[in-house]
Amino acid sequence: MIARQQQEMLELSTPVVQLWDGIVALPLIGTLDSARTQIVMESLLQKIVETGAGIAVIDITGVPMVDTLVAQHLLKTVAAARLMGAECIISGIRPQIAQTIVHLGVDLNDVITKATLADAFSIALQRLGLTVAHRT
Amino acid sequence: MESIPILKMGKSLLVSIQVDMHDRLAMRLQDDLTARIAQTRARGVLIDISALEVVDSFIGRMLANIAAMARILDARTVVVGMRPAVAITLVELGLSLPGVRTALNVEKGMELIADMQAGGENGRHQT
Repeated sequence: MIARQQQEMLELSTPVVQLWDGIVALPLIGTLDSARTQIVMESLLQKIVETGAGIAVIDITGVPMVDTLVAQHLLKTVAAARLMGAECIISGIRPQIAQTIVHLGVDLNDVITKATLADAFSIALQRLGLTVAHRT
Repeated sequence: MESIPILKMGKSLLVSIQVDMHDRLAMRLQDDLTARIAQTRARGVLIDISALEVVDSFIGRMLANIAAMARILDARTVVVGMRPAVAITLVELGLSLPGVRTALNVEKGMELIADMQAGGENGRHQT
């Protein structure tokens, strides 16, 4: 019973949403552990295949704490998405988390990081050669 | 002995891996491909691994090696159609193939190669 609930919770906790044609987003909420990251990674990659997305935005606004393990998991997800031919943008990094990441010595140089999901989305649109304009 | 066909399309070579790779086949592909790149003076190599369900560290390393060898022979490699499970396996094995360009499917891979070649040629013509 509890195992089944856990399984359901895992599935519920990792929706992959399509933001635009070619852009998917993964809003992560809550603490990431190994089991959860595994499912997150699988569902993201599956969605990339389904939608043919070229860009994936991983939003970690709702992740309360990032330690080396979580950072490692994130980097793995980014690497796996890259292998599939999709580019990853990590967004929603709070100042506190940015400090922690630097103190931990985690190397995020190869990954595009943005402070907010809005910034990530605008970069994603730019990459796809799209612009958002006011109606005149 | 069986081998993997290498097709020439314009200035690119197309390799579609449709069978399970074993080590000897991988080595053979490596030999054949480098020979073909040198012979045809290809500028791009597209490796389609959408039918590949199982990879091990050897095959992963072979893909990286092929890309590095092609690079030395002045051809860019794009690996396309990797399955999610394969991507996860490679990352878990610590093989994130940093030198290899990737695309979701053959169509996008061809676009990528065309872009890279256009970029390179423009650069040369401008001088």
